[in-house]
Amino acid sequence: MKDSSARQLDRFDFLLAAGLSLTYLALLLATVKDLGYARDEGFYFQAARSYEAWFELLHTQFWSALRPAVVDRYWSVNHEHPALMKSLFALSHRYLWSGFQLFREQGTSYRFPGMAMSSLAVAATYVWSARETGRLAGVVSALALALMPRVFYHSHLACFDMPVTAMLLVTTYAFARSLDGGIGWALTTGVLYGLLLDTKHNSWLLPGAFVAHFVLTRGAHALRELLAKRWAFPNALLAMAVISPVAFYVGWPWIWHDTLPRLREYVAFHTGHEYYNMEFLGQTYWKPPMPRLYAWVMTLATVPAITLLLFGIGLVVSASARQRARSSAPLLWLLCLLMCYAPWWSDVTPIFGGTKHWMTAYPFLCLFAGQGFAFVAARIAELTPHKLWAMFAPPAVAAAVLIGPLCMTLHSEPWGLSFYAPLVGGAPGGASLGLNRTFWGYTTGAEQTFINAHAPPHASIYVHDTALQSWEMLRLDGRIRDDLRGTLNIAGSNLALYQHEPHMHRVEYETWVDYGHDAPADIGTFDGVPVVWLYSRN
Amino acid sequence: MPFARLLWLLVPIAGLAELGLFVVDAERAPRVSEWQAVRAEVAKLKGPADLLVVAPEWADPIARYAFGDALLPVADEARADVSSYARAIEVDALGKSSAELDGWAVREERAVGRFKLRVRENPKPERVLFSFLDNARPPFLTVTAGDSGDNERACVYTQHAQVSTGGLHGHLAFPRERYLCGGEEFFVGATILDDQEYRPRRCLWAEPRGLESVRLRFSNVPMGRKIYGYAGLSYFLFRDGAHEPTTITVHVAGQQIGSYEHHDERGWHHFEFDTERFAGQTADVEFDVASDDPRDRQLCFYADTR
Repeated sequence: MKDSSARQLDRFDFLLAAGLSLTYLALLLATVKDLGYARDEGFYFQAARSYEAWFELLHTQFWSALRPAVVDRYWSVNHEHPALMKSLFALSHRYLWSGFQLFREQGTSYRFPGMAMSSLAVAATYVWSARETGRLAGVVSALALALMPRVFYHSHLACFDMPVTAMLLVTTYAFARSLDGGIGWALTTGVLYGLLLDTKHNSWLLPGAFVAHFVLTRGAHALRELLAKRWAFPNALLAMAVISPVAFYVGWPWIWHDTLPRLREYVAFHTGHEYYNMEFLGQTYWKPPMPRLYAWVMTLATVPAITLLLFGIGLVVSASARQRARSSAPLLWLLCLLMCYAPWWSDVTPIFGGTKHWMTAYPFLCLFAGQGFAFVAARIAELTPHKLWAMFAPPAVAAAVLIGPLCMTLHSEPWGLSFYAPLVGGAPGGASLGLNRTFWGYTTGAEQTFINAHAPPHASIYVHDTALQSWEMLRLDGRIRDDLRGTLNIAGSNLALYQHEPHMHRVEYETWVDYGHDAPADIGTFDGVPVVWLYSRN
Repeated sequence: MPFARLLWLLVPIAGLAELGLFVVDAERAPRVSEWQAVRAEVAKLKGPADLLVVAPEWADPIARYAFGDALLPVADEARADVSSYARAIEVDALGKSSAELDGWAVREERAVGRFKLRVRENPKPERVLFSFLDNARPPFLTVTAGDSGDNERACVYTQHAQVSTGGLHGHLAFPRERYLCGGEEFFVGATILDDQEYRPRRCLWAEPRGLESVRLRFSNVPMGRKIYGYAGLSYFLFRDGAHEPTTITVHVAGQQIGSYEHHDERGWHHFEFDTERFAGQTADVEFDVASDDPRDRQLCFYADTR
């Protein structure tokens, strides 16, 4: 089935995609300075430093850098995740901070590739939605994605969650385009999937969605072709089988030798991932069975309801026979969306990462939302025969459905993981329901002003859930005073941070015993809900 | 125009309605400055023996920040339960009420700013005659470790031990004031554990080491009708219940009055022993803490006479 009915995009569409993307990037850069460094970012900074040193060696002593022992020395750091994004963090730091001095803060240079990938996701969402549904629907889809508060938070980070969201989307787009024939998009799909594999392990299930799409849309035809001894499979799947593993291999030096044992170790790490603690509806889960409703409830609780409503309408509209005959893209979106949520249908899947682990589904959700918007806007435009009404109604509807997400997103910064949608009563409602208030220790950024003003000279600060590498980046960036030292020992500290998660309360109680009181010296709140607080020994 | 077609207008209206709800939600909970402003009123209401409770419970850290530990001291925050308090001041920030005070009569309620301040009374307050936790120091308490008899040795009381904190995955805080029974980590002293809801509970750490028990002997204890207590281990560390139980055996005036066997996965768990026959007297009370499991029996307990 060729998607011949899809709109042909013109120069204005690409300008619009670039405009949306660059505006998002500018907004991310403008808001990054208030955001403390998340726990995992600290580990990726450390890995990126090591990889950067290897790139330097590659530049100066090419053959020496390729020796297995040397590769291992530099690439063993954080080898539980593939290397693409950490390599980009390293290169960004090397060229945009050390070289061109584009950024004042090192941390921002590490974060920049993640922001750029998030902006790519916004552009790609526009392109696909505009192609399938129309220009204004494209804008609504792209902004619906950009203006999810949790997406906005993760878009700032030197992590993999938004990059894998972007890569999964563009790979799927390339696959969809390849179905129209020709070899270019098929080859592109092969390369992109290799890069997706090199981004994060969310990539593993994507071929399943593609195969399911192929079987559902072309299975019967393919069977007939096979019986007639003709090649019946999409070229993109062949490219994924041939090119992607090569791209994956080339992009990750850690697997250049001892490849199979290391790949086995990589897979085993993620399939047997340890269980962390996660609060959900007043209970802390820390071992299976995990609640099967977690992903769905958290989606409802954190994505603006208007986006979900448009998604629902879009899903119904797409299911109509006429739409199904027109394009197979919505089926591919649906399969990808279900694939992204699939791990959370199992009650043994760890839920430690909150919403970020199925964020890959959100672009597809927004593509449906674009369809829902287009349908609703068209019905409203038809309400009166007046031309002006028909002209202005769709943009007015777009504004009405985007203004809420815009306000929520801007308001959520820098408390992204504490945001809850009005459907559950906002942040106070989330707290009363017992939904996770924060994790990853990034809210230390909200206490930096107090710490700088009140810590004694050369004080030790207990950083709690903030990784020491993340704390060090705050110090290198000049956001924390140079004389202050981060520590993981309460007993030797002058100030002690506490980032709230119920199971971590015991750390707070240790502070009470050691400091001899229970009154925080400062507290960071979001909409009246305490998220991070700080104790002073004196 | 058919009415049904107008229903499509509900979609943009829903978008705007959600925006309105968002604004309301964002402003719903009192801000830190409002908590600070209500402090004086709360201080006026709260007597020295009253308990101060915040609802919803998640606002408690703001209350501690705004009110200070004079109004919300560690001893109250990390209480064993509310049974011994006769009166509580409840600060209601969002139209909520504390589940712990269910059944307590509301004697007074007043609105101050966006708060409601309630004076609540316990219908059956229990008078504590002697808190073993609050008197865990000389001359009331002596501690020994090892088998009773020749191998029994005295633990040494100090107010200047090295404070030690285990962080998230390590031991509870080892307090400055404690009885050292051999090394820094074998001791008896007051600390705070996390219960099965990760709430704080102040308690006496009494960990038998290896197969050596620890014995806490309190002298001249005013006795009531019962010894009332709770025991637990850090729930976060021991919620798997992978260890053998720990037993607290209680003697009054040399007579065994009972024992309590604690299983880790229970969390903070209540026990009590009948002491009716000693009521009105003073007597020596001994808690013998032991386990057949030599690994990490980090029991912590609260007890009083009432």
